[in-house]
Amino acid sequence: MSKKLYGCLVVLCLAAVVSGGCAKKDVVKPEEQTPATQVVPPPAPLSEGAKSTPAQTAQPVAETPAKEQAVAQETPQQGAAAQPAATALESALQKIYFNFDSADLSNEARSALSKNAELLAKQPGVSIRVEGNCDERGSDEYNLALGERRAKAARDYLVNLGVKPERISVISYGEEKPVDQGHDEAAWAKNRRDEFVIVK
Amino acid sequence: MKRIILLCLLLLVTPQLMGASDQYLDVTAPANKKQQIYLAPATTLSGPALPEVARELAELFLFDLNLAGPFSVAPAEAGSAGSDLVLKTAYGSSGGNLTIECRLFDPVLNRDVAAKRYTGSLKDLRRMGHAFSDEVLRVRTGQKGPFTGKIAYVSKVSGNKEVFVMDYDGFNTQRVTNNGAINLNPDFAPSGREIIYTSYKKGNPDLYRRELYTGVEARISARSGLNAMGSFSPDGNRIAVVLSKDGNSEIYLISREGKELARLTRTQAIDVSPAWSPDGNRIAFVSDRLGKPQVFVMNADGSDVKRLTTNGAYNVTPRWSPKGDRIAYARKDGNGFQIYAINPDGTQDTQLTNLGSNEHPRWSPDGRFIVFSSSRDGGEAIYVMRADGSAQSKVSRGKARDSHPTWSAAW
Repeated sequence: MSKKLYGCLVVLCLAAVVSGGCAKKDVVKPEEQTPATQVVPPPAPLSEGAKSTPAQTAQPVAETPAKEQAVAQETPQQGAAAQPAATALESALQKIYFNFDSADLSNEARSALSKNAELLAKQPGVSIRVEGNCDERGSDEYNLALGERRAKAARDYLVNLGVKPERISVISYGEEKPVDQGHDEAAWAKNRRDEFVIVK
Repeated sequence: MKRIILLCLLLLVTPQLMGASDQYLDVTAPANKKQQIYLAPATTLSGPALPEVARELAELFLFDLNLAGPFSVAPAEAGSAGSDLVLKTAYGSSGGNLTIECRLFDPVLNRDVAAKRYTGSLKDLRRMGHAFSDEVLRVRTGQKGPFTGKIAYVSKVSGNKEVFVMDYDGFNTQRVTNNGAINLNPDFAPSGREIIYTSYKKGNPDLYRRELYTGVEARISARSGLNAMGSFSPDGNRIAVVLSKDGNSEIYLISREGKELARLTRTQAIDVSPAWSPDGNRIAFVSDRLGKPQVFVMNADGSDVKRLTTNGAYNVTPRWSPKGDRIAYARKDGNGFQIYAINPDGTQDTQLTNLGSNEHPRWSPDGRFIVFSSSRDGGEAIYVMRADGSAQSKVSRGKARDSHPTWSAAW
């Protein structure tokens, strides 16, 4: 061997003995059972700077009490299955559509909302969720907020027509739930919409 | 729990190296000639010849070091004539264990300017290779490379959007979420050990924090409306996030546990996509308060709001470079996006991409590269490029739609 090697400084870097689950699962109850495929194992240190001993110092994530949101917790299917009459109402409620990057209500949208308000007036026990959606052309981050603005525009209009505000919740799906997977104006126009879903 | 393989590292440091007398390359000077690196054929230290190991290492070094910028790497077949540096690799194996010795030899100085030996299991091969690529950048430029970092991203490979993690070059894909709902906008904690993301798994778009190594997940913000676009502060203690609990989308600071610390914006407009400056003092964000979405910058307490982008009608998803000198963002141009970078004072607004639609720029932790999603090849995939827009390279390998990448510090 060369002199170079002879003069080498040999640093033995012991990887901290990390037995993967140092953060014990019984410390914190995870929200979901996580199959092994979802655990990204910590890399054993390769570099000399391996002061970090990943899983050993990793703190268990504290569970934060979650605020319950009755409306958001329920799926439309559950609500609809429970009440056949509500299913009929849901399919009678008209979707409304928007221009690109706009939450302004067109004349057609106002007219549809007026009919929706009449239907809701006939079933005062029913609550709905307005779901705001966008087309794929905008920024997906910005569209989360735009979808919410669209949903709230419809909610506010319904409230002005006499629907009690506590009967209406809103959610935005941004551009994540297109009804038409196409990439042309016809598809985009269908995707820029509010949907009205019965929640109870 | 899996037992983690014990890894030892033997560091070979020549005495000359410790003097650190080498002149670093000025990687910012465009006229600098690239250093030619000759990739010598791998040799065996002990055990059988493993041609697939030799080939994988060679391909890895070709990709890493050609992407890096200061080098031009020639494969073994090209011969060593005219090279400034020779990269020599040797490997040995016994059972499932693998040892790799890497040397960067300077023929003029007639000595190794970097030399390391890595020991681990066979499956650590790529990480060992990337670790040496990081080291090559360190010894030639004074700053370590980012190639041992991971990229978290969102993929529709299973039909819905789930969060995944992969090596920066697209290998070793690992699924992080598996809840069947919509999962969005992953962001790494500065440590790289945790990510936050928004998930609709309980109906509402709530913010979750997850330990990658254990899979332990906690819902840290489940306020009415949006809990989205979470972004860890550079010190990891705070999260800038978009909440709409007070009427419309606004930017807030919350703690790691989700406690509200401050509300930063108060407008009737959309305020989204917060991005920290590396010193933690400023936050870039997107607002349509003047009509169309544009990038603004404010102090981290919400004061001193200034518009940043003035060109283009629709500018979104800003991300501050780790050195603080540039802000990358995406501009809508027709039906697609292109990535730009601009100085924090609004000067030197530069277009970096032009093929297909390109979105979601994020910096590598050393600031040398930008990772982004692009549709240039049909479906959306993850790409990397140098900060000046050169060497744009596809890294995600699946056919599925991959988007929203973010690059962690070294693992």
